[in-house]
Amino acid sequence: MNDAVVGGSPTTTPRQGSPDRSVLAPTPTPREVPMPVDTGAAPIPNPAPADRSSNVFDINDLDVYYGPFRAVRDVRLEIKEREITAFIGPSGCGKTTVLRCLNRMNDLIASCRVNGDIRYHGIDLLGDDIDPVEVRRRIGMVFQKPNPFPKSIYDNVAFGPKIGGVKDKATLDGIVESALTKAALWDEVKDRLKTSAMGMSGGQQQRLCIARTIAVQPDVVLMDEPCSALDPIATARIEDLMQELKSDYTIVIVTHNMQQAARVSDRTAFFTAEVNPDSDSRTGILVEYDATDKMFSNPSDQRTENYVTGRFG
Amino acid sequence: MAPDIPPDRHGFRNTYRAELEQLRLQTEMMGVLVDQNLERVGRLLRDGDMDAASAAIGADDAIDAMNVSLTERCYEVLAREAPVASDLRLVVSVIRVISEFERVGDLALRVAKLAPDLALLRSVDRCFDILLAMSDEATEHFRTALRAWATGDLGVAEQAAEPSAWMELYYEQLLDSLLRVSGPDGVRAALRALVAGRAFDRIADHASIIGSRVRYLATGDPDHLAAEVR
Repeated sequence: MNDAVVGGSPTTTPRQGSPDRSVLAPTPTPREVPMPVDTGAAPIPNPAPADRSSNVFDINDLDVYYGPFRAVRDVRLEIKEREITAFIGPSGCGKTTVLRCLNRMNDLIASCRVNGDIRYHGIDLLGDDIDPVEVRRRIGMVFQKPNPFPKSIYDNVAFGPKIGGVKDKATLDGIVESALTKAALWDEVKDRLKTSAMGMSGGQQQRLCIARTIAVQPDVVLMDEPCSALDPIATARIEDLMQELKSDYTIVIVTHNMQQAARVSDRTAFFTAEVNPDSDSRTGILVEYDATDKMFSNPSDQRTENYVTGRFG
Repeated sequence: MAPDIPPDRHGFRNTYRAELEQLRLQTEMMGVLVDQNLERVGRLLRDGDMDAASAAIGADDAIDAMNVSLTERCYEVLAREAPVASDLRLVVSVIRVISEFERVGDLALRVAKLAPDLALLRSVDRCFDILLAMSDEATEHFRTALRAWATGDLGVAEQAAEPSAWMELYYEQLLDSLLRVSGPDGVRAALRALVAGRAFDRIADHASIIGSRVRYLATGDPDHLAAEVR
């Protein structure tokens, strides 16, 4: 079954001219001590400082299947620490599928099978001995539609740390304030922390979801079209926020808004869907991955050029 | 796997594409108007054609008007369509090239306005012969640059980007011979010849800049931008 879609040579383009890290990367800051989490599985060892200046993810020959259907093939890319990496491409190109692999969200889909190698700080992320819950604590996700819990603003942010075993009220207060401050929401909500999160605007809810994600002190924040339900002002706030969060976190964002990718990201990966002539199904491939400047000024692949200029896609 | 259907048939943003194509063509049109004025200046010097001089002065208004209207259209495309990649290079190159065209037009005009003093210019034989050669060389170089824009051909662009060695030689010869000019009207004649000679020399420089710009448009290589400010 799978052989039907294997035909054809790999079309991924090797990344060229990777930008000078000393220019792009901020000076690494010491990480805070991770909160104690009893997950019943061996925790992922904290990477040594030397590794921190390198790749957060090394993805090699990634194939994702939904049942017999191959959704993505041969994806190979590296995600650099404390950079914003954007995934762009037309619908059905597999960019969200790849994003969801990065914190094993696809485990939750029974028919989904992930082949290939994803290294997280050199550790085999897809390994059987890796606890997906711990993975998702370290690698948080913000979704397209803001999805706060129907609880108070405070409880939304405190939820993760509480699950993680933080019981002391003063510590929790500190975490909530710090997360809301980092999410550029504290000043707006500090006087109504006990009111329901459902009464907030869409943009505020999305920033609350970002605060909720960073409250558990993750390493990576994945964002799946975080602004597509927001107005331009709320979008601009999230984009500003991403630039601030970049000094502490590695961010990977899927966006349909090419201008957004151009504005916020350091690197951009362009995916497209190739149609399988036998079955009319579509398989996503990575076409080009390079510095965002290059991708939007002089991409190496004609398909990227056609997509970013709106000729195709 | 590249899309099987060519991009132009699979296309989106068709109004935008048409406007980009119009900008490219209108820029070429503006270059043709400038070229005609260079031709008229040549006729003035070579044949003493006073009508050509006044026609050039009249045509310069159209060149200036195109510069303004094309600049506005570029700004509008930038504001409304946020072009990227080769589209962005085209729009910023149009902005650059039309201002070079406008400048070349002004320099040609500077020579056309010397028409009343043509007899005086001709009175210094040696200088005048050099000026005729400079006029031809400036026109030729400009045409190469215009052909580079019209075709987008990298080879032609490289040819246009190359500074003119002939022009450099002519300019030195002109300065040299101006020093030897004597007689009652010598200074008046020499000053006018210098105005014309400098104009032709500058026109060739602007043609080189246009060539560099077309090269950048074709390749996107930032090194080709550096060549513009030589």
